[in-house]
Amino acid sequence: MKKSFSFAGISLLLIAVQTTAIHLLNLEGVIPDLLSIWVVYIALTEGQMEAMLWGFAVGLMLDLTAQDFIGLSTLTKMLCGFLAGYFYNENKTQIVLGSYRFILIVFIVTFVQNVVYFVVFTQGSEINLLHAVVQYGLTTTLYTAIVTTFPVFLFSRRSPI
Amino acid sequence: MQRLFNIIRLFKEYVVFALLLFLSLGILSLNDNRQIRAIRSYTVGLIGFTQNAFSIIPNVLQLREENRVLRQLNVNLTDEVSRLREARIENMRLRSMLKMKDRSVFRLVAADVVGKSLQLMRNTITIDVGTAQGVEPDMAIISPGGLVGRVISSSRNYSVGQIILNKDFRASALVERSRVDCIVVWSGIGQTVHLKNIAKKQDVRFGDVVVTSGYSGLYPPDIVIGTVSAVTETPGSLFKDADVTLSTDFSTLEQAFVILQKPDPERMQLEQKTTGAR
Repeated sequence: MKKSFSFAGISLLLIAVQTTAIHLLNLEGVIPDLLSIWVVYIALTEGQMEAMLWGFAVGLMLDLTAQDFIGLSTLTKMLCGFLAGYFYNENKTQIVLGSYRFILIVFIVTFVQNVVYFVVFTQGSEINLLHAVVQYGLTTTLYTAIVTTFPVFLFSRRSPI
Repeated sequence: MQRLFNIIRLFKEYVVFALLLFLSLGILSLNDNRQIRAIRSYTVGLIGFTQNAFSIIPNVLQLREENRVLRQLNVNLTDEVSRLREARIENMRLRSMLKMKDRSVFRLVAADVVGKSLQLMRNTITIDVGTAQGVEPDMAIISPGGLVGRVISSSRNYSVGQIILNKDFRASALVERSRVDCIVVWSGIGQTVHLKNIAKKQDVRFGDVVVTSGYSGLYPPDIVIGTVSAVTETPGSLFKDADVTLSTDFSTLEQAFVILQKPDPERMQLEQKTTGAR
């Protein structure tokens, strides 16, 4: 229960940062996706089920906050938790979190999530899907993966190895 | 049931994923923006395509219902076709009668045949015109085919006609080509009449058209009776017989005309008084 409250608190904090202060990290219109890193972290530490549920909740809260396209972040963050859950290994959690694998998982999951996001987002418009995925999806994914190096650095210092 | 729970427990991640996916899509569908409209449009197209692809698989219940509806439709259409065919035939017949009425020199009154007795030796027809329409006994009845007979009695709205196929029928006739006079009588069998009183030397041939002569006064002249279908010469006899196939088909007779012209009473009276013939 205590863990749930902590997760809820961190989630709310990250949503607040993602919707407000994240613009300080804006690079040519591209911002890192902190919530995806958070959902991947939950998946790697708690498993697929929890990651899906937290991904769903976090995405829904983000949608309600942004009031833009309700349901789209709910879908993509839940999907993010589902995919990241496949990399869950109870015995190697700390090793994965403190290594390049965390970055790699974040990269893969965020990329897939972005593809799904743009597939839905570009419907009914003249925007080219491939162009949107490469220009925004891939850059956001790369930026998010780069930002993931900070938690990796922190976890590697705490790692027993 | 326990087994089902076990399966759900075994695949709980997928079950939860499916539920959350369903929920997410449900929330997404609440939007009304261009993306969702486009997705709805694709979905409708996809469903249509799928339905079309699966439509080759026969649905037994649907087929049975469809069969029933088609059978019913078939009965209705057959009935309609039959009625249309009847109407077409009637239309053709009426047109032909109209043409005949137009070219006839007589005053005619059209009548529907409402009763027939073609089985007896004294065959008659009942028509739906009577004295109210100016019809009286001894007026000739004709059809587009030719002579039918004559009126023998009339009420206000109906008349009974003696037709050619009646053992009491007699008509003075002539062969149109050779102008040979003769008398037409019914033999009592079928729709063929005989020409009587033809001398052996007189020119009557197969195919000759026989018309009324007008000598008797009952029937106006030049009304077609029929066509000579056989000529028989009896050895030792001074006369020969000819069979005439009637131009009016009494088995299909449905409409007729009455010629509103009565024989001259003075002439009839004189002839009857002198010869006793009609």
